[in-house]
Amino acid sequence: MIDLPFFLVASLVLAVGLFAVGLFGLMLRRGILFQIIALEIMLTGPALAFVAAGAHHGDPGGQGMFVFVLVLAASEVALGLALYLRLGRLADVADSDSVRTLRH
Amino acid sequence: MSLSPFLALLLVPMPAMGAFLLLGLGPAHLERRAVQTVGMLGAVAPMAVMLPLGAYCLAGVCDGVQPIFDLTVGDAVVALALKLDPLSALVGVTVTAIGACVITYSVDYMAKAEVPDQRRYFALMNLFLASMLCMVLAGDSIVLFLGWELMGLCSFFLIAYHVTSARAIAAGRKAFLITRVADALLLAGLLLLFLEAGSVRLDALIPAGIATDEVRRGLIAALLLGGALGKSAQIPFHTWLPSAMAGPTPVSALLHSATMVAAGAFLLARFAPFLQAAPLVMAATAVFGAATALFGAVSAVFQKDIKRLLAYSSISQIGFMLLAIGLGAPEVAIAHFVVHAIFKSLLFLSAGDMTQMARGTTDISAMRGALWARPLAYLAFVAGAASLAGIPVITAGWFSKEAILAAAWLAGPFGVLLWLVAMAAAVMTAVYAFRPVFVGLTRIDRPRPTVGGLFTNVPVVALAIATFAVAPLVEPMVAFLGGVPPHPPRAVELLGAAAPFLGMVMAAALTFVPRLSMRVSRARRLRSGIRIDGIYQVTFVQPFVGLVRWLTGQKGGIADPVGTLPILGAERLTAAVVRPFAHDPLDRGWSRFSAGLVRGWAAGRRLQTGRARDYALALAFGLALILLIAWGTTWR
Amino acid sequence: MSWAGLFAVWAGSLALVAMALAVTRPNVVHALIWVVAGLLSLAAGFFALGAGFAGAVQILIYAGAIIAVFVFVVMTIDSGPEAIARERGWLGTGWKLPLALVVLVLAPAVFGLAATAGPGAPTPVSPVALGATLFGPWAVAVEAASAMLIAALLGARHLARRERAP
Repeated sequence: MIDLPFFLVASLVLAVGLFAVGLFGLMLRRGILFQIIALEIMLTGPALAFVAAGAHHGDPGGQGMFVFVLVLAASEVALGLALYLRLGRLADVADSDSVRTLRH
Repeated sequence: MSLSPFLALLLVPMPAMGAFLLLGLGPAHLERRAVQTVGMLGAVAPMAVMLPLGAYCLAGVCDGVQPIFDLTVGDAVVALALKLDPLSALVGVTVTAIGACVITYSVDYMAKAEVPDQRRYFALMNLFLASMLCMVLAGDSIVLFLGWELMGLCSFFLIAYHVTSARAIAAGRKAFLITRVADALLLAGLLLLFLEAGSVRLDALIPAGIATDEVRRGLIAALLLGGALGKSAQIPFHTWLPSAMAGPTPVSALLHSATMVAAGAFLLARFAPFLQAAPLVMAATAVFGAATALFGAVSAVFQKDIKRLLAYSSISQIGFMLLAIGLGAPEVAIAHFVVHAIFKSLLFLSAGDMTQMARGTTDISAMRGALWARPLAYLAFVAGAASLAGIPVITAGWFSKEAILAAAWLAGPFGVLLWLVAMAAAVMTAVYAFRPVFVGLTRIDRPRPTVGGLFTNVPVVALAIATFAVAPLVEPMVAFLGGVPPHPPRAVELLGAAAPFLGMVMAAALTFVPRLSMRVSRARRLRSGIRIDGIYQVTFVQPFVGLVRWLTGQKGGIADPVGTLPILGAERLTAAVVRPFAHDPLDRGWSRFSAGLVRGWAAGRRLQTGRARDYALALAFGLALILLIAWGTTWR
Repeated sequence: MSWAGLFAVWAGSLALVAMALAVTRPNVVHALIWVVAGLLSLAAGFFALGAGFAGAVQILIYAGAIIAVFVFVVMTIDSGPEAIARERGWLGTGWKLPLALVVLVLAPAVFGLAATAGPGAPTPVSPVALGATLFGPWAVAVEAASAMLIAALLGARHLARRERAP
C-alpha cells in the first residue's frame, strides 16, 4: 500500500469514471454520431490521468502525453465524422447496427 | 589315433547300414537279383567281421573301447563309442550269425511272397540288423538308445510290411505304441543315470549308478526294468508280440530270436552289475520273468496258429532269461539267449517253410503230414522243438534251461518257489513244443516230398546242426562271460530232465485224444492270453479313442473343443476390449466430433454480428475480465 | 491537502457528471453542449493541477476546434423530432448489459487502486519545460503524431468528398 496525494487518487478514480462513462455510451448508443462522441469522452479519461500524474511528479511528460491524446482524438474525430458523412450520403443511415457488412 | 584291433568294431554294423542306405535311399533302380544280392551281402558281411573279432576276444584281451567321436555339451561330454567285452562279443557273434541265416533264408522265401516289394524288405531287415548290432556293441548310452529306438521303428515297418492289410498295420502300430511306452521308461532311466555319472560311457554309468543312494538306484533300476519288459514283451507289455505275427515269417524269426525281443534281456544283462545293487528290482525281475515264463507257456499250449504259438513261446523263453537275471546269473541268461536265438530262428524258418507250402495259412493244422510233404523242414523243426523243450543231454536248450533252473534252486527259499514255477513252465514248454511236431506226424493222402531251394536249406540245416553243436558249449560260454555254471543236487537235475518227457506225453495226449484236443481248441480265453488285450482295449484304447472322437467333434457338441475354446475366448476378448475401439464407433465418434466443430464454427460465426456495439460489448467484457484478473492477483 | 487539488477534483467531478449526461441525451445538440461543458470543466481542472498549457489546449482545440467540427456535421444532418424520438427509443432498451459491464470495469479499477490518500499538492509544469521535452527528446514522437494528423486529414478528405456523377 503506497501513500499518494489525495488529488492524485481522486483524479485517477475520476479518469476511470470518465473512461467508463464513455464506454457505457459507446455500448448504449446506436447512433453513429453519439458513438463518436462517446469515444471522445473515453479519450478524456486517460488524458486526465496523464495530466494528474504529470502534476504529481512535476514532469512535463504528462502534458506531452496529453498532447498526443489530443492528436489522436482529433484524427479519430476527423476520420469518424468523414465516415459518418459518407455513410449518410450513401444510404442515409445514422444507425450503426444497420452497417453490418463491409461491402454493399 | 593308433590303429587298434577294436577299430574293426566300427565295421560290424557298417555293411548292414550300407545295404540299408543303398536299398532304402539309393536313387538308382535295382534289378531283383541285385536287390537280393545287396541285402544278403549286407547281412552276411557283419558276420565275416564279427567272427574274427570274437576269435580275437577268445584269444586275447577281451576288453576294449573304440571311441567314435566326442560331443562337448557344456560340462558334459557325449563320448560315443563302441565296446568289445565278452558279453558284446558273444551276443554280437550270435546276432550276426542269426541275421545272416535269416536274411539268406528270406531270399527264397520272399521270392514266393505275395508282396513283391523286396527292396523295402531287405532295406528294413538290414537296418534292423544294423541297429541291433549298434545296440549290442554300444559303449555308451546314446548309441545304445539309438539302436534300441531304431529297432522299434524297424519292427513297426516290418510288422506292418503288408501295407494293404489293415490288420498288419494295426499290429505294427500296436507294437510300436507299446514298446514306445517302455522306451520312454528306458530313456528316463538312462537320463537319470547320465545325471548321476555326467558321462554317457557305460564304463562310467554303471559304477556311478552303483554309487548313488538307494532310492535313486532303485528308481533307475526300475525304469530300466520297465524298458526291458516292454521291449521283451513281458507281462504286462506282452500283448504286442502275438499280434506281430502279421509280418512275414523271416521278420518274426529275426524279431523273436536275435533282435528286438531279446534286446530287453541283453539290456538287463548289460546293466546287470548295476541291477544287482538294487535287490528289490532284482526280485521284481525274477518274479516278472517267472510269471511271464509260465503265462507264456500256458498260453502257447492253447494256440491254434503256429506263429502265435511261437510268439508266446518267445515271451515264455525271454521270461526264463529275466528269471536268470533276477536271480543274479546274467551269464546263464545270456547263454540261454544264444541258445534261444538259434532254436527260435530255426523253428520260425522251418515252420515258415512248411506253412508256405500250405498257401500262407499258418494254422497248426496246416502242418498236417509235414513229415512226408516237407521232410527236411520238418526234421529241422523237430530239432528246434527238442531244443526248446530241453531234451536232456543232446540239445543245447537243455543245458541252458537246466542252468536257469539250477540257479533258481540255489537261490534260497524264494528261489525254490520260483523253481517250482519255472518247472511248471518247462513242462508246458514241452507240451506246446511238441504239439506241432505230433500234428506233423499225421499221415495225409498223396504225400509228395519236396525240398526248398539252396537259400532255404543252407540256413535251416546250419541252424539245426547248431542246436546240437552248441550243447557242449553252454558251460564254457557261462565261464567265458565270467560266471560259474551252477550245479544243483542230482535229484533236482533229474527232475528237470524228466520235465520234457512229461510234457511230450501230455502233448501226445492233447494231439491224439480227440476229447482233449477239442477242449484245447475251445479254450478261447486262454488262447487270447487271458484277454489282457481286451482289458487294455477297454482301459486305455477305448477311452483314448473316445477322447479323440470327442476332441475332434465326432460325438456331436462342439467340434474340436480344445481348438474352439481359445477361439471363443479370443472372440469374447475382442468383443469386450477391441470392439468398443473398433473402427465403426471410433469413426462415428470422430465424425460426430467434426460435425460438432462445423456447428461450433457456425455458432462462432454468429458471434460476428458486424455491429459496432457488440464489438464494444466484447471489448468491454475482455477489459473487465483482464481488470478482474489483475485485481484478483493483488487480492490479499 | 491543497486547495488547488481540491478544486481540481471538484472540476473533474463536474466533468464526469457532464459527460454522463452527454452520453444519455437523445438530442445530439444537447449531448454536444454537455460534452463542451465537461471538456471545459476538465480544462479548469488542468489549470488547477498546474498544467496550464494542457488546460489552454483543451479549451482551444478540444472544446473549440473539435466540437466545432461536430457542430458542422450536425448542421448537415436532419435532426428533427423524429430522430430524437428514435434515439430515445433506442436509449430505453439495452442499457442493462452495458451498465453491468461498466460496473465490472469500474469495480476493479477503483477498488483495485492500492493507494491511500495522503497530503500533497500538484506541482506546476511550465509550458517551457513541456516545449523543451516535446521538441527535445520527444521530437520523433511529435513528428509521428503530426504525420498521423496529416494522414487523418487526407483520409477524411477522401472519404467526405462528393462522388462524381457516374
